[in-house]
Amino acid sequence: MDQPKNKGMDRRTFIKTSGMIGLGVAASSFGVPRLLRAAPPAIKIGSVQPATGPLSVIGVGQRRGNQLAVDYINAKGGIKSMDGAKLELVLGDSESKPEVGRSEADRLIKAGVKVMTGPFQSGVALAISTLCEQRQVPFIMDVAALDSITAKGYKYTFRVFITVTGLLNGAIKYLKMVTDMKGLMPKRAVVTNTGDAFGKGMSGGFIKFMEKSGLPIEIVDRVEYPLGIHDLSAEVARIKAAKPDILFPVSRPGDGIILTRELYKQRVELMGIYGPGSPGWYEPDVIKDLDKLIYYVMVNVPWINPASQVYKDANEAFQKAHNRYLDTNSSYAYTGVLVIADVLERAASTDPEKILAAARETNFKDHPVVGGAIQFDEKGDNTGALTALIQVQPDADLLKRVKIVAPAEFAQSDKIIFPAPQLWER
Amino acid sequence: MDSTLALQLTIQGILLGGIYGLIALGLSLIFGVMGVINFAHGQMMVMAMYVSYWIFVLLGLDPYLSLVAVAAVIFVLGYLIQSTVVNRILDYPEAMQVLPLVSMGLILENLALLLWGPDYRSPQTALGLETLWVGAVMIDVSRLIAFVLAILITILIFIFLKKTNIGKSIRAASDNRTGAILVGINVDRIYNISFALGAATTAAAGVLLLPLMPLSPYLGHDFTLTAFIVVILGGMGNLLGALVGGLILGVAESVSTLFLPATLKHAVSFSILIIIMLFRPQGLLGGKK
Repeated sequence: MDQPKNKGMDRRTFIKTSGMIGLGVAASSFGVPRLLRAAPPAIKIGSVQPATGPLSVIGVGQRRGNQLAVDYINAKGGIKSMDGAKLELVLGDSESKPEVGRSEADRLIKAGVKVMTGPFQSGVALAISTLCEQRQVPFIMDVAALDSITAKGYKYTFRVFITVTGLLNGAIKYLKMVTDMKGLMPKRAVVTNTGDAFGKGMSGGFIKFMEKSGLPIEIVDRVEYPLGIHDLSAEVARIKAAKPDILFPVSRPGDGIILTRELYKQRVELMGIYGPGSPGWYEPDVIKDLDKLIYYVMVNVPWINPASQVYKDANEAFQKAHNRYLDTNSSYAYTGVLVIADVLERAASTDPEKILAAARETNFKDHPVVGGAIQFDEKGDNTGALTALIQVQPDADLLKRVKIVAPAEFAQSDKIIFPAPQLWER
Repeated sequence: MDSTLALQLTIQGILLGGIYGLIALGLSLIFGVMGVINFAHGQMMVMAMYVSYWIFVLLGLDPYLSLVAVAAVIFVLGYLIQSTVVNRILDYPEAMQVLPLVSMGLILENLALLLWGPDYRSPQTALGLETLWVGAVMIDVSRLIAFVLAILITILIFIFLKKTNIGKSIRAASDNRTGAILVGINVDRIYNISFALGAATTAAAGVLLLPLMPLSPYLGHDFTLTAFIVVILGGMGNLLGALVGGLILGVAESVSTLFLPATLKHAVSFSILIIIMLFRPQGLLGGKK
């Protein structure tokens, strides 16, 4: 699939983005003939993302994912049921704060956006969903996981991403799958987590789900440490003293490296490391720096579907523009805009009621992430959302080491290695 | 209580404390001589870590081997910061001295962000994963090397200050600025050298930390704070105090994991700080000024 970019569009984006975040976005050299007839007015889509502040790395990636999809839809001829109306992305920056997110969304709605997307953080999503309900603007979230966002019975809120409950169900389901498959059951486990809202919430939820799951694994210790810690030697000494068979880490980027090296140095014997769902274990830099030590780590996570043509095309365009691979979060940002375009196509109108009606009928299969067709239930949650179980496995190509091992229809490797050889025996 | 665990935690605390001490030594030296608190201290250390990182990635030279070169680079950086910024603000009230140095820290942090991006980098160095075992207790080799070198560098700085002419001039300028000027010491130049020396010691500490923790532009801020706590613990401007303070803080943070959730690590360090401030406001080894 060729993706020529509209030159004018891209320059506008360039100015806007660089003006707001102070980063240059590579100007494209593609040219496309302009329409000769008067084009229908562009449909504005608002995207509030954490483009500055502590989550800026992710926020910038989210914007790029959104923009990539907008460019793609426009290059394909816009929304055909509306005379080929183009999409226009209007950007807001939450600065990683809920109250700023809300005022930014307010600004975008005043600027005439017809649909909102974003916002990565659940706290921001809670604020924007209430606002969108008041203003009757459909809010189709690309990423945000907290269950309570859609639990308020709002009509205008939809979510492409998985819920925390879905994420935790996946973690238990795959853990059962692996232990059944191998006929091996770890008896003692330690949960580690960062002390921020995500780390506490996610690990607390996981411990509750473990208790309900009937799995005979006893959680013997829970080691919590501050966000952004530089040294985990004391924590790992405590983990070692608890004598776990398996480790369940809920980490943030950076922790995975310190934790694994320290487990190696202190010779902590484990059957394996199983992440219930957190970053720190699959980023290209981590894979490169830890090399053999990160092998066999398993993580339950919403993930890209690298085998899909949609992903391959999007990734190629993304690599070309930003010299980075299209990661799972940006893929969801991409998917969010694709779903919006699909809804608009079927609504054939920007009337909120018609958009809502079309959104409820969504059945979108052509997306780049692991999961079934995107359909929204009565709360607005995506019933097709799934997590994948990924495992880091030996491969000469660094970027191919992270492999999907479940669900079977998305799997890139048919073997799961568990128990893993001890870190120092590799 | 598990005695092996307690012993393990104490050893780790002592080893880390040595590096804390070295970081704080630079801060203490700068304060002792000029009475200025270097709020860009951690950020200068991060700069050193990046220099060392790139030497390792591009030239394949292990951080321990590039230590002297990196310290020299940061020495120059420190010299420039002192001669262009700090020398001009020495006579200002303390509150006004804070801002230029905090800004310097912000500039360095964002410079790192701009040049190298926000990603965590943690190269696999030669000795990065080596360990020694004494019974069931593990001694991390890179931590041990860092500790030994930190002590060694501290001793060298002491000898430098006691025995060399420049060292004597630094002490003279520290004791009495006017007096030093009167006996013909070029105090501005001595200040430049002192700041640069402080910067170089923190650079050495950064290089020693590189095999131990992932590098990111935001690392500096936490270490400025750690160094600050250590210096206050040991006594402002007292070089031996920096080492003692570092050891106390390292052991306290490490051993507290036995009793408290690790989330309270910072609470532990600040509680110690408050207690020391209550009973010995001048710090453990600090004299009356």
